[in-house]
Amino acid sequence: MRIEVLGLDKHFKNVHAVQDLSFTVEPGRVTGFLGPNGSGKSTTMRLMLGLDNGSGQTLFDGKKLTAHSPVTRTVGAHLDAKFFHPKRTAYSHLRMLGAEAGISKARVNEVLQLVGLESVAKKRPGGFSLGMGQRLGLAGAILAEPQVLMLDEPANGLDPQSIQWLRDFLKFYASTGKSVLVSSHLLSEMQLLADDVVVIARGKLIAAESMSKFLARASGSAVVVRAAEATRLGELLHNMGIESSANGLNTLTIPNQTTDRIGEVAYANGIKLSELSSQTASLETVFLELTDSGQEYRLGGEAK
Amino acid sequence: MMTAVVYEWRRLWSVRATWVMSVVYLGVTALLGGGPLYLGDTRMGVQTWKGLYSTNGNVLCLVMLSVVASQFFGHEYRYGLIRLTLSEFPARERVLVAKTSVLAAYVALMTFVGWSVLGMVGALAPKGSISTSGVGLNISGGQPSDMWQVLVFGFAYCVLAMSITMITRNLAMGVVLPLLTATLIEGLIQGFSSLSNGKLDWLVNALPFVNGNAWLGKAPDSPNAGLIFAAWIVGAYLIATLSFFKRDA
Ligand SMILES: Nc1ncnc2c1ncn2[C@@H]1O[C@H](COP(=O)(O)OP(=O)(O)OP(=O)(O)O)[C@@H](O)[C@H]1O
Ligand SMILES: [Mg+2]
Repeated sequence: MRIEVLGLDKHFKNVHAVQDLSFTVEPGRVTGFLGPNGSGKSTTMRLMLGLDNGSGQTLFDGKKLTAHSPVTRTVGAHLDAKFFHPKRTAYSHLRMLGAEAGISKARVNEVLQLVGLESVAKKRPGGFSLGMGQRLGLAGAILAEPQVLMLDEPANGLDPQSIQWLRDFLKFYASTGKSVLVSSHLLSEMQLLADDVVVIARGKLIAAESMSKFLARASGSAVVVRAAEATRLGELLHNMGIESSANGLNTLTIPNQTTDRIGEVAYANGIKLSELSSQTASLETVFLELTDSGQEYRLGGEAK
Repeated sequence: MMTAVVYEWRRLWSVRATWVMSVVYLGVTALLGGGPLYLGDTRMGVQTWKGLYSTNGNVLCLVMLSVVASQFFGHEYRYGLIRLTLSEFPARERVLVAKTSVLAAYVALMTFVGWSVLGMVGALAPKGSISTSGVGLNISGGQPSDMWQVLVFGFAYCVLAMSITMITRNLAMGVVLPLLTATLIEGLIQGFSSLSNGKLDWLVNALPFVNGNAWLGKAPDSPNAGLIFAAWIVGAYLIATLSFFKRDA
């Protein structure tokens, strides 16, 4: 199912949290929804689901969410790891959520098993860890096998094995032709998962493109070399008008260059390199750059 | 529509608080109904069956039901569940209709079970403490109510509690505000009114529970009491509906 987000906009009292945001989420792919803390990811998801009032609209296969029935077979949302009553057992919680699509008890048990909560199914979730809460939230979202999964920071609080499991699960889910929208503030988390990215900062769209394109722009912004003659290399580069900074013993960091270019210079001057790598900027660094020179970046990107 | 009702019914009975408050309601009903029978309080004449069955129209019984009524929205807002509920049922009117119908069903169920408990209390009471003729005693004052009035009043009281929770998004408010109004605030206003030689009579005559109780006790001098009480309840419910539809979840 294809999701079209059209001109979403939302003001809180003092914050313009979401600003004329448009993008699409394609079926059969995992779309990472990226942005630093407070950039408006959660607000956007709430607007998409009609939970918050704002302007703009969201269409699911060309229709509003309310025009789909049953809704839970269309969209499954997991917005927060704490959205449950602390005294309602995990099993009863899912039974309740299964009402609209007429989910059987067997399916509830199946999903509990899938997310690894079968041993605590009849326990009250008040004492659940953050990771267990995430699993319960995910269970609720996938209960009716919806065409669209919308997950808000589902990896928070999960241990590495669980993150691996979640990644495999979401990739598999998308591979069956469904749409998956997952938010995160960590690029590293999304790199291995998402096929497409939608990036926002301060409520504005920064990029909406494939992950590989985005990574190409985020990385390569700095080259790291390690060489016995690092100082000589640094001087050579300086003479060519390329600035570098010494970064510990025998290591140079050279911003705004490619490994091809630096490798060439070293080879031409007979400098033996022990390491030549491009440094992938952290999402946070990219954001800092993008929000300062956001205009240029957006022009460079093929915003959908 | 049925699926939203099923959702709501499961929500209601899958937390222990509902069961606990329901049992407490029946306990208080039994105590309040049985008390006068055992104490032999005959100031207002001997209790009748009709009088006994109007016991659970009293606010002290209804406050237990109002805890459950406040939880209809109170738990949802407190634990963020409202966002799950509205993701599942994006049309808010469906959620409101489902909640209101399930609340009506719950109040009806509890009122009927309450009458069964009162029936048992009456059957076990000392001989001669219940008469089959005569007026009898309404614990809320005035004459014994008709049974349908007890049912309607109970529902109205719970709608008020639910509405206040919808507006304030605070569970405790839905319980405390109606209870304080009924048992304390209106009494104080009546007190001031009598001190001020009736200058505040217009206010007293407009108060929700003064009118509600006059209607329940069939006060002969307040023919519009039922209407005024209804206006308060409907007004609160309309404001609550508006606030539920217009605000962010
Ligand atoms: N209910 C609210 N009332 C007022 N301001 C709000 C509300 N919800 C969010 N905001 C503000 O809107 C902006 C976007 O918040 P939002 O929670 O959508 O960001 P986010 O990208 O999900 O952040 P995080 O990564 O921390 O989850 C923030 O500045 C936040 O303070
Ligand atoms: Mg968020």
